[in-house]
Amino acid sequence: MLKSFIGTIGLMAVGATLAHAAEMHAVVRDHKGKVVADAVILAVPVDPRGALHARPPKDAVDQVDKQFVPYVKAIFVGSTVRFPNSDHIRHQVYSFSPAKKFELPLYSGTDAPPIVFDKPGVVVLGCNIHDWMIGYIYVSETPFFAKTGTLGTAVISDMPAGEYQVRIWHPNMDHAEETTSQQVTLTADASANAEWQIGLKPNIRVPRVSGAASPAYP
Amino acid sequence: MRCPSLRTFCKATRASLPALLIFCAVSHTARSDWTVATAGALSHDDNVSNARTYNDKVSDSSASATVSLLQLIPIGESYSLAAGGALSGQIYDTLSGLRNESIDGVVSLKKKWGLGAFATWARAGISLGRSDYQDGYRDATLYAASLELGKRIDERWNLWAKYAYERRAATPRDAEIYSVSSDAFSQRGRSFAANAEYTLSDRFSINLGSLLRHGDVVSTTQTAAAGYYLLLNSKAVAPDPTFGPGAYAYRLNGTTYGARLGAEYSLTAHSLIGCGFQRFETHAQGGNNYTDSMPELTWNYRF
Repeated sequence: MLKSFIGTIGLMAVGATLAHAAEMHAVVRDHKGKVVADAVILAVPVDPRGALHARPPKDAVDQVDKQFVPYVKAIFVGSTVRFPNSDHIRHQVYSFSPAKKFELPLYSGTDAPPIVFDKPGVVVLGCNIHDWMIGYIYVSETPFFAKTGTLGTAVISDMPAGEYQVRIWHPNMDHAEETTSQQVTLTADASANAEWQIGLKPNIRVPRVSGAASPAYP
Repeated sequence: MRCPSLRTFCKATRASLPALLIFCAVSHTARSDWTVATAGALSHDDNVSNARTYNDKVSDSSASATVSLLQLIPIGESYSLAAGGALSGQIYDTLSGLRNESIDGVVSLKKKWGLGAFATWARAGISLGRSDYQDGYRDATLYAASLELGKRIDERWNLWAKYAYERRAATPRDAEIYSVSSDAFSQRGRSFAANAEYTLSDRFSINLGSLLRHGDVVSTTQTAAAGYYLLLNSKAVAPDPTFGPGAYAYRLNGTTYGARLGAEYSLTAHSLIGCGFQRFETHAQGGNNYTDSMPELTWNYRF
């Protein structure tokens, strides 16, 4: 009885906070003014109590047509991620990244055990069988994040009013994400805009198709 | 009326069908990886006849196409088995007798030392094939065994080397010259190739290759004087009417040095076009030295 009473009070408190929630609209472009997809926008509350209500959700990164889908996945630290394999072949997913080192031995379907990402940072995914397969998981230390779509825009909603340090990350960004940081103030029931122009390195990847002379696969 | 491609295809299909069915059944249960690839090329060879003298050199352009089917079966963490085959054809602009169709099968075992795209790998493979030419005396069964070693240094640099032994077994006709073999189109050779690929941008890459080959080479000449000179050093001699009524082919021992420079552009994630230039210099027995230059345009698609 007492527990449900406390739970109800808690939910009311969260509801009251979200009732006055703000949102942030972000746009990312490159130096030529072209919109940038797959950029992760992170809003870190200056007052860390602003992130207390967050709970790590369950997420998934699929493998479709020998590619990771999505190419970039942003998750909250502590999240559990499954790696279902929608291809009719086996994949061997791994990461050497300091934020999470792991290996899923050859599997198909949904046989692979979920992985918990308990450290913030960038995790680069690969497949040991198909060298061109690459994907990114950005493990965010803040629950307020979003990823830009094909229009280069993203919206972070349900944010408590307050001060935020906002920054972005992209797999091909040619400078450190810390250099993109800017301060944004959100007021209740309002929205704020943030815009970035970033330099991108060429997206050099292991090619899926090579000329007749190249023997790397299979 | 003969139909070399159909005949070859039927023979090869009959021989390989049971093995293919067993292989498909095994691979299906192993959830292995089928790869279908197609390739096409337009090329020009300034010395198709492999001749030493200017008068004997015959140049021609050709178009070729290949369809290949390859099955990859990962075995554990470090090994993978690949097996498959290819059908290919080549037509020449003027030398119609060189038009050919080929079928071949290949089996290889690859080992990777470590996980990921940057792990060192090695592969041992064997292949068996059959080529049918418009001029049937060139028909041959092809055997090859190879050993490859490679490493991708980073996203830009990819290096690999290949050692191969190849044998081409043709059916000789009756000897025309007493005590000299007429088996001019059977060859054996060993080669070593070193290659590097450099990715310039997300779509452009260039590749460099070098080749050292030692073994049999076939030179064709129409000149009587050159023919006599070659006859003294050749292992086999046979008429070669592909290059004209009085032409003779001579099988000699030789060493070939080759180099290739190419560039490729990815049209999509599955396809690319490329251009390249190959140059070969052969030093054959008795001072029969010749060169070949081959510019080419290529197209590759992998499903």
